[in-house]
Amino acid sequence: MITIRALTKRFGAATAVDDLTVDIGPGQVTGFLGPNGAGKSTTMRMVLGLDRPTAGQALVNGRPYRQLRYPLHEVGALLDATGVHPARSGRAHLLAMARSNGIPARRVDEVLDLVGLDERAAGKPGRALSLGMGQRLGIAGALLGDPPVLLLDEPVNGLDPDGVRWIRRFTRGLADEGRTVLISSHLMSEMQQTADRVVVLGRGRLVADAPLADLIAARPASSVRVRGPEPAGLATLGARLAADGAAVSPDEGGLTVTGVTAGRVGDLAYELGVRLHELTPVAASLEEAFLELTAGSVEYAAGPTGGETR
Amino acid sequence: MTAVPTVTPTRPASRPAPTSGPFTGAVAAEWTKLWSVRSTWWTLLAAVVTMAAAAGQLAIYAVNANTDDDPTVNPGIVDVGEIVAGALELTQYVVLALGLFAITSEYATGTIRTTLRCTPSRGRVLAAKAAVVGAVTFLTGLLIGAVGAAVARPVLGEWGRAPLGGTVADVVASAAYLALLSVLALGLAAALRGAVLTLTVLFALLMIVPLSLQEPGITVLTRIADAFPGVAGNHFLAGDTEPYPAAVGLLVLAGWAVAALALGRWALRRRDA
Ligand SMILES: Nc1ncnc2c1ncn2[C@@H]1O[C@H](COP(=O)(O)OP(=O)(O)OP(=O)(O)O)[C@@H](O)[C@H]1O
Ligand SMILES: [Mg+2]
Repeated sequence: MITIRALTKRFGAATAVDDLTVDIGPGQVTGFLGPNGAGKSTTMRMVLGLDRPTAGQALVNGRPYRQLRYPLHEVGALLDATGVHPARSGRAHLLAMARSNGIPARRVDEVLDLVGLDERAAGKPGRALSLGMGQRLGIAGALLGDPPVLLLDEPVNGLDPDGVRWIRRFTRGLADEGRTVLISSHLMSEMQQTADRVVVLGRGRLVADAPLADLIAARPASSVRVRGPEPAGLATLGARLAADGAAVSPDEGGLTVTGVTAGRVGDLAYELGVRLHELTPVAASLEEAFLELTAGSVEYAAGPTGGETR
Repeated sequence: MTAVPTVTPTRPASRPAPTSGPFTGAVAAEWTKLWSVRSTWWTLLAAVVTMAAAAGQLAIYAVNANTDDDPTVNPGIVDVGEIVAGALELTQYVVLALGLFAITSEYATGTIRTTLRCTPSRGRVLAAKAAVVGAVTFLTGLLIGAVGAAVARPVLGEWGRAPLGGTVADVVASAAYLALLSVLALGLAAALRGAVLTLTVLFALLMIVPLSLQEPGITVLTRIADAFPGVAGNHFLAGDTEPYPAAVGLLVLAGWAVAALALGRWALRRRDA
């Protein structure tokens, strides 16, 4: 259980996390989403007692992290930076972590096994680890104390497709065991396959906190992509569709139409004698729901002229 | 929202309880970290080599001073302990690097975040580092003290003297000096983070400021200089009785080390990692 209350972090004049209040409960995977710079990593660092909040507090199982005597038994974390010394082997890194919390050395072998790092990989110095191996080592470190709470900052970053699938299954398993699992990402599509619930940040503020299913239900309407060899014909078709009340936006080589079915577009084209090469229904993805949610915050960040909302 | 997520959920009951206390654990972790990077071994080797070279050179100076034509500087027969203490002037910087790097390398490589996640109590982390750095540099001090004595004795020849009891006492004293100095470096590094900045401040504290204060004839300034860690340490090593007993020199140095640790802990608590 992670409890965040009115958490605020300012770096000089910039506000990275702004009055954030949210609970992350056990037994489910919570996706922590937001565009780059939204404040996800900063929030996680505050939960882990690394950054000092400007205001508010973050509690783990009801206590501030800095007061935990054996924190690895309570919270496991993977941060965006691996935190492995370039000259120290991954194995020694884990061993030092284990010793600090009174965890027997054999547990190091267990977690190395769990994340699929063999003897040779674990013996490599930090600087020789590939991105994916570093991620796996970080996850191994998070699992050392078999903690009931896990914070993973962009865990799929740098993993191959196998690794991504593994993380997905693994985090699901951890949540099913009743643990609290918080995973950050800036890819909604990734969360779509992993999370039960999503907490969305935009410019440090809470933008959404809802079960994934609710977000999917609320996603924008589907659209239809239309392509054809005759620009004039397409223009006529577009005008006709617009007159019918559909939203039409021209793009290179065709139109994107929202608010009508592909069948209706096809019928109209036949009626008007417009040749078509493509007629594709496009289901709105969760990604779009996400973009819509955070659009305000992103636009704001990019300034009034540079806004790229779609 | 589903109902009542307040109770700690089902967990595998197999998880073993911690096998050591948090401080013992933190010490064990620091020990493991220290010996799992090669730079520690290189530093030790550098300390031994520097001590051997410096002790050899000082012994040659002593012999020359006694045998050259200039009658004004004749040290006479010298204790090897004196040579060892003199050689520390240079060697101390190699040894205190162990204290310095115990923290600056953590900031330089980002491992400080791992360390603080494992041991969130800043005071405990620093105390554990101080224990490991203190012990290791004390043992290093014994080792290089013995090396320095072993090099100086044959070079001194008839101008040298190595009474067993006195030499052992001198070597133990220089080991204690190095241990306290390294802990001082550790505390300062925790406050300042950067290796270069910390080393600069250490140079100023150990040499530059006291040297510029020790104007002959201005007693007040000399007394102030006597309160600096390097000067106090030298009074201790030389077994002086003026301006204060040798033991007070040791206490002054220890006071500096404790103050530096307190400063370091304060900084670690306040700042983001
Ligand atoms: N140590 C720091 N000093 C100054 N500003 C910082 C610091 N750390 C983070 N920030 C700023 O705080 C904001 C939030 O950053 P944060 O890394 O938490 O975002 P994020 O959501 O994790 O982004 P990403 O998806 O890129 O990882 C950014 O504007 C960033 O520049
Ligand atoms: Mg981040």
